Amino acid sequence: MKTQTREILKKGIVFAIILIFIMSIGFHEIAAALISRIFDVDVKRGSIPEVRFMMYFIGLYAFITGWSNIRKESGTAIKKILQGAIVSVIAGAIVVLFDIILVFLTQNEIDVRQYLTAFSIDSMNYFLFDQGQLGPLYHFGYFAIFGLAGSALHVLLETDSVQNLIKKVTSTIKNTFEKVNNALPLFIRKNAKYLLGLIVLAAAIILPRTWGSYVNFVVGLVGLYVIAGIGLNIIVGLSGQLVLGYAAFFAMGAYSVALLNAPEPHNIMLGFWPSIIIAVFMAILAGLLLGLPLMGLRGDYLAIVTLGFGEIIRILLKSDLLTDLTGGPRGIQDIQGPTIFGKPFNSDIEYVYIIFAFVALTIFIYTRLQNSRTGRAWLSIKEDAIASQATGINLKKYKLLSLVIGAAFAGIVGGISAARNQFTGPNDHSLLVSMNVLSIVIVGGVNSVPGIILGAFTLKGLPEILREVENYRQLAFGILLIAMMIMRPKGLWPASRPLYEKATTTDKKENTSGKEPSNG
Amino acid sequence: MADLIIETRGVSKIFGGLTAVNQVDLEISRGSIYAIIGPNGAGKTTLFNCISGFYTPEHGEILFQDNPIQGFTTDFIAGQGISRTYQNIRLFANLTAIENIMVGQHSNLETAWWDAIISSPRYRRENERSRKVALHWLDFVGLNGFGDYLACNLPYGMQRRLELARALASDPALILLDEPTAGMNPQESEEMMAFIRLIREKLEKSIILIEHDMRVVMGISDKISVLDYGTKIAEGSPKEIQANERVIEAYLGPGGAALAKKYQDRRRKKQNA
Repeated sequence: MKTQTREILKKGIVFAIILIFIMSIGFHEIAAALISRIFDVDVKRGSIPEVRFMMYFIGLYAFITGWSNIRKESGTAIKKILQGAIVSVIAGAIVVLFDIILVFLTQNEIDVRQYLTAFSIDSMNYFLFDQGQLGPLYHFGYFAIFGLAGSALHVLLETDSVQNLIKKVTSTIKNTFEKVNNALPLFIRKNAKYLLGLIVLAAAIILPRTWGSYVNFVVGLVGLYVIAGIGLNIIVGLSGQLVLGYAAFFAMGAYSVALLNAPEPHNIMLGFWPSIIIAVFMAILAGLLLGLPLMGLRGDYLAIVTLGFGEIIRILLKSDLLTDLTGGPRGIQDIQGPTIFGKPFNSDIEYVYIIFAFVALTIFIYTRLQNSRTGRAWLSIKEDAIASQATGINLKKYKLLSLVIGAAFAGIVGGISAARNQFTGPNDHSLLVSMNVLSIVIVGGVNSVPGIILGAFTLKGLPEILREVENYRQLAFGILLIAMMIMRPKGLWPASRPLYEKATTTDKKENTSGKEPSNG
Repeated sequence: MADLIIETRGVSKIFGGLTAVNQVDLEISRGSIYAIIGPNGAGKTTLFNCISGFYTPEHGEILFQDNPIQGFTTDFIAGQGISRTYQNIRLFANLTAIENIMVGQHSNLETAWWDAIISSPRYRRENERSRKVALHWLDFVGLNGFGDYLACNLPYGMQRRLELARALASDPALILLDEPTAGMNPQESEEMMAFIRLIREKLEKSIILIEHDMRVVMGISDKISVLDYGTKIAEGSPKEIQANERVIEAYLGPGGAALAKKYQDRRRKKQNA
């Protein structure tokens, strides 16, 4: 019992502190603005949304507080509900203490913005629902009521009857789905894969035309990161080499395309398509040059050396020494985009098509490699390099191969993004880019294509769409990473291994069932 | 000259100042089960590591089917037809059992990565065959039904057998088994012994094993070598080794032979009485 009360107290304090923190950095306004979006009310930048959205936010927060405390093991339903409510009340009480300070500050009009930038009088008043001295009371009430509601709803959902209902609903959905599936003609069922591919293809062609150019820009960015993520996954996820200087290969591709297609500094104007091939080769060359001396290194050592390599490339590009050759710190402007049959590409839609094509190519190559002899050799090196060598796998060869293939994809990404932005500079290829790509792979799911796509959307797409959170992007990023590692340590969409034995047995079944009609 | 599968001539391996393996000569004939025993730290696993190429011996020669193999890389030696298992199991933990065996076939397969990308007929044929071979070995070690389990999720005894299947998958001429029955109960080691015999008789492979369980060693080996402090102190049939005084001393310390004799006499007397 004693530990239980302690835990309840602890949880209440934690939730209160998080809310106080949110207020202290001024995030409550942004949260309210996000909620206002759900209700389709647009808030102008720099202005504060209506007070009701702040109320919704506090209500939601209290609801979550109440919801979160229900543990399966503890007591009767009423006891469980009360527990959640108590946590919420404790959180509310602590928030009230904080509120009293805010009331004191607002009533006496003391300006502390010099020390705490978010504590403007307006912002504090907004947090108190514009109710002045009554604000704390409101907060307490909200925490009590919504906490109780959250707790009650959670307990209700966990009762057997509700669980059974959920099970029933899901099973009926499944059954109907199966029925529909069985009702489909054999032709469709057998070629489901290709049909699905056709649908995706149609969507990929039609959808970009309906989106605005901003959405296309974001989708293109996500696509580029998908290619990069899959490329890096070949190195990190398949062959298990932690390479942190992946952006260096981007730089190789980007500068190849840029130098061959910009009026300054060389004015070669080779055209996009030949130069993207050169970009890939340059990236491969960089991979070889980096890989050959490094393939003996493992783990932390490899990570550090490749990190250094990435920085060296960036600093070289930035240095004044090479300004004549690479454009120096200002980068390269006015890069010519690709043309097809003489028609130049200049809208985001057209780039989205190119990027989609390369994403498709990347996924195709990756899936083919993943479960091949080569893919298995890579995985075995990742699992146990010594044992894999003793089964006859040439470590150096396979490690180098993965590095080179991964680098080639990075070269493509660098080349396309240089042409798309019509600019490339040393800071486009910083360590942060490598880290972003690595995060996409880890957050999405190592060795899982859908995972990497999902990861690219969450880490690159969401921040672009949720402009409000912009200032807090790094914070949100960090919180997301921590939450991910706790809740889904294997990624958003973890990879699964192919089931060869099952495939063989089902093959047999299908063969026998296929024979029956011919006999009869 | 007998038909030798592998021969070591004066092999020495020195770590810093410590001579882990000292001038060891072994002659192992084709199709035999050869055991290497000795106290802990006698250099048995080091000798294995020299043979399979993890270490390069400082002195001496290792001849596999009359060709020297010392100094070559591990993967080359594996490709020549030597495969092994490990004292502490080293499976590819996050691959399925079948995939482990498929990796084991690596040196027998030849399609390259671009074959996989374009999915050439050659590649598809080979992939299919490799899957069938894997299923065969899975069945051989009695793991059918467990093929799609991740290796790390299999129970200990199955992991041992899977490791053996992986070693067999490359169809090697020589298999090195490092303590195949470590951590097994008597019944399990009995099964493992039967299994090792089966490998020799049915598949006609040569086997070298390191083992501490004397019942296993005496039960299955044709010939035994005893290492102590890196030096070979005795070699012979199980009977000869049991009677060898130096061996007993190596295990029980100086005076051990007399002690052993005393206890043997006492037991005999008890049995007589």
